[in-house]
Amino acid sequence: MTTIADSIVQTEALTKSISGKAVVNEVNIKIERGDIYGFLGPNGAGKTTTIRLLLGLTKPTSGTVRLFDRDIRNHRLDVLRKVGSLVEYPSYYGHLTAVENLEAVRRLLDVPKERIDDVLAIVRLTKDAGRQVKGYSLGMKQRLGIATALLGNPELLILDEPTNGLDPAGIQEIRELIISLPRTKGVTILISSHLLSEVEQMATRVGIIAKGSMVYQNSISHLREQAISRIRFTVNDPASAYPLLRSSGYEAEWDDRSLTIGRADNASTAEAVALLVKHHYDVYRVEEQTASLESLFLEMTGGERSL
Amino acid sequence: MIIRLMSVELLKLRRKWIWPLVALGPVGVIALQAVNYALRYDYLVHQQPGEPWDGLISAVAWLTLAALLTGIFILASMTAGIEHQLNAWKLTVALPVKKRHLYAAKFLLTALLLLTASVLLIPLTVALGLSLGFGTAIPYGQLIAAALFPYLAALPVIALQVWLSVTIHNQAVPLTVGIVGMMTANFAGSRIPDWLPYKWPQIDYAVNEPGLYVPAGIALGLVIYAAGMLDFVRKDVR
Repeated sequence: MTTIADSIVQTEALTKSISGKAVVNEVNIKIERGDIYGFLGPNGAGKTTTIRLLLGLTKPTSGTVRLFDRDIRNHRLDVLRKVGSLVEYPSYYGHLTAVENLEAVRRLLDVPKERIDDVLAIVRLTKDAGRQVKGYSLGMKQRLGIATALLGNPELLILDEPTNGLDPAGIQEIRELIISLPRTKGVTILISSHLLSEVEQMATRVGIIAKGSMVYQNSISHLREQAISRIRFTVNDPASAYPLLRSSGYEAEWDDRSLTIGRADNASTAEAVALLVKHHYDVYRVEEQTASLESLFLEMTGGERSL
Repeated sequence: MIIRLMSVELLKLRRKWIWPLVALGPVGVIALQAVNYALRYDYLVHQQPGEPWDGLISAVAWLTLAALLTGIFILASMTAGIEHQLNAWKLTVALPVKKRHLYAAKFLLTALLLLTASVLLIPLTVALGLSLGFGTAIPYGQLIAAALFPYLAALPVIALQVWLSVTIHNQAVPLTVGIVGMMTANFAGSRIPDWLPYKWPQIDYAVNEPGLYVPAGIALGLVIYAAGMLDFVRKDVR
């Protein structure tokens, strides 16, 4: 267990109601230093609202937000100094160039002028830095948004769907950048997405939100374990074998041809087979069922596909 | 922090053509008076009692009312619109900046632009008077009073338009309020009751004392500014 001091983001029963409906309902997020936290959920699940609550753009109906172990209600300015963010779609001033956009933010953050060139180089916009942003493609605007988030050398980076509108090469670049930041700069990252496959390859921890409530929060490896460890037994009389497995403590399901048990490691699989054989059931097949992470995600979020 | 925010506000005006718009108000007023004096020179200069400079200053002040009230709602809406247009409020509010400072910077920017326009009236009026041959006995006191007192008396209107423009995303609302106010002030003229702030900028300060109108304008302006700021701080950002 890490100590309290390493807690970067912590929310307690965070709730936001809009006209009586809880769009974010008792959400407890916990992110520790160095995490890449994948914040997942279908469109409209409450991801962006939660992020707005974290940044103090929106005030919670109830519950608290602590960043760097400080309540943002009392220390908003101190904590925001250490946070870089990109919320929803990138914010920018279309009539200004990329350099002018970054300069506007730089003056408020009070960081050295060289940072502008640094972040432009990081997102590879140096060549187009002198152009008005309204002429940029969506991907370029997105990269400018990421550059803006990086400008103040943040310790916590909050990126809301940062790969929206990027082409595959751009997505790959951003992904590599995100993976490298905690290693090279000690940055903690919260990245939201409606696609599990997108954060799966970079996140160390995931939180899944559906209809305003957190339905899962743990390490990505734990999620993977859940996804693969179902064993299916094809037996001659599943209906009568089912109570036997249940009474022996297995989480079993049955249909007219087979039995399925969840969370089975090698030992418990062997024990289940032995149990069935001992009671004279014919075991025809033992198969591992690999549910994909994506289908597990869909199941957790109530099967709502993001369109 | 306010100074930093102001420097950012001024940076954001680049390529927005706001400065030419600021100059357009006073230049337009003076140009119209130039036409007026060119057409009716004899009547205005020789057949009116009093000094020609006094007549000119009053004539300019009379036309300035519409320009000032129009300038207020247009500039308030444009400076707030820079943020509304691409939902840039969330960008700035997520930075380590106090929301009340952010509001103060928007108000100050609008007030500064309008002050620039009001001050510009002084040299432009002088130039017109000199070119009309009114001589060099320029009544600067009256000139400055006629340019600046309406501005100060209009502070409640400035504060109201900034409030509406900043807190309401749909700019049709502040623009409608601004237009209705401007029309009321112009067409109802002296029939407006004294307590209505739209009356205060239209006193001819070249010949009248600032009286209660100017202090009341500053005081009510501050009150409305504070109310708008509290509303902005309380509201969630889009």
